[in-house]
Amino acid sequence: MAQYFDVIVVGAGPAGSMAALKLARDGLNVCLLERGRQPGAKNMFGGLLHNTPALNETIPSFWEKAPLQRHVHTKILAFMTPESAVSLTFENENFDRPPYNGYTVLRPAFDSWLADEAVKAGALLLCDCTAEDLIVKDGQVIGVTVKGREGELRANIVIAADGVLSFLAEKAGQRKDLRPADMGIGIKLLLGLSEETINERFHLVRDQGADIAFLGIPEGIRGGSFLYTNRDSLSVGMVMHLDSLKKSGRVPYDVLEELLQHSQVRKLVKGAVPLEYSAHLVPEGGIKAVPRVYTDGMMLVGDAAGLCYTNGINLEGINLAMTSGALAAETAIKAVESHDYSAAMLSLYKKKLDESFILKDMKKFKKSVDMMHIDRLYKTYPQVLAGIMEKIYKIDGTPRTKILNLARREALREIGLKDVITDGIKIGRALL
Amino acid sequence: MNIEDIQQLTQYIIDEQPHIVVDKEICRSCDHRACVQSCPANCFTWNEETSLLSVVYETCLECGTCYVVCDKSALDWTYPRGGYGVNYRLT
Repeated sequence: MAQYFDVIVVGAGPAGSMAALKLARDGLNVCLLERGRQPGAKNMFGGLLHNTPALNETIPSFWEKAPLQRHVHTKILAFMTPESAVSLTFENENFDRPPYNGYTVLRPAFDSWLADEAVKAGALLLCDCTAEDLIVKDGQVIGVTVKGREGELRANIVIAADGVLSFLAEKAGQRKDLRPADMGIGIKLLLGLSEETINERFHLVRDQGADIAFLGIPEGIRGGSFLYTNRDSLSVGMVMHLDSLKKSGRVPYDVLEELLQHSQVRKLVKGAVPLEYSAHLVPEGGIKAVPRVYTDGMMLVGDAAGLCYTNGINLEGINLAMTSGALAAETAIKAVESHDYSAAMLSLYKKKLDESFILKDMKKFKKSVDMMHIDRLYKTYPQVLAGIMEKIYKIDGTPRTKILNLARREALREIGLKDVITDGIKIGRALL
Repeated sequence: MNIEDIQQLTQYIIDEQPHIVVDKEICRSCDHRACVQSCPANCFTWNEETSLLSVVYETCLECGTCYVVCDKSALDWTYPRGGYGVNYRLT
């Protein structure tokens, strides 16, 4: 097997399939490599496909065609302690009509659909193919070797959409060190529950869905938990910083059990049947962990480029991935037109990323990565908040305290004044 | 809900070639063996009596946690051959 293409895209995830779709539509000769039996076989995420204008521009009214579960109508942020929960619910009618703000999605179905769109546009999809190494000539990437169906594939440009561990970026000397503090481990259990029960239990009608973020579980580990409603299943799991999980000495199963056994979560998943268990890493290092995204003959997109935005409340990756795939494709089209595949030419991709929301958001919120490393955010502050709420509501015949004094007393009992101020400054710099 | 058994729900297409190989000598002197504790699929086991670390690559979810937490360069970790390994159907 030795074949020649204009572009080889490695990885049929959202970033790779989007790139292949755009390239094939433009008439380029594109090969899309996937190491799974089918696209999505290796992919998991929490469950939210955020509104992505690049997807809607490429496939207008995609929400009528894609295999989506529910559109997200109800957003809940819950601060948890072992005994209590303080939650904030946001519902907005604008989230209940197209273009929806986000959807719950199951990846094997969604990723297969998007890859199929690329195939319909003319891309050649080769499954069961793990790209093992780069073929480099005179410093220029000119192809990949394949493990699975043994052989070589050559192209003018390689787009590495091979995920968070990107071995292709490593082979090209582009990948930054994968530090445990910059990585989140996501684990998830898919639970089957009837559509009717989900609608009743989460107060939903039609295709409406709910997104619940739990802060404070797992206790004492930097991370958070989630519950998303699919049509007739729930995606329940958590994302934790790897260094913090390591330090805690706890095992992922035990932490998942803690979530499922919490009194507030137990009642939401009651009667649900486990369907599938999955795990994946999330690049949470922010802008400082983003490598150089292009070299001679190659560009990095999606997780392979470390493109992930988080501010503690939102966690976005799939929208950044698809948009970066589209921008890399635009760049590759220009490169093929001018027969120039040099790093200087492909630096146009970096320029496009800089001008897009992707790197603008990641730069604007670069300090939120430091904020997310405040251990107290995940245990102490939820406790303080729950303590204040308990004292506000509790009636036991003792004299009351004014709310500000109450807050001060609760905060200072758990945390020193110096830490409260330092944390306040960090959070302020990150978000305000 | 018994979560001990949840991993049996996940499908694998098992290759006879392992994609994770550990250097048992390095692992013997490791001061944390974070791979054993952090792996979400319980692939690693430390045997105190024999001082040997063993790996069950067949149930690996290919997340890369062990690869990132190992700071002793004791792991030879690659993706499985195309078509093998974890095969998510629903997630």
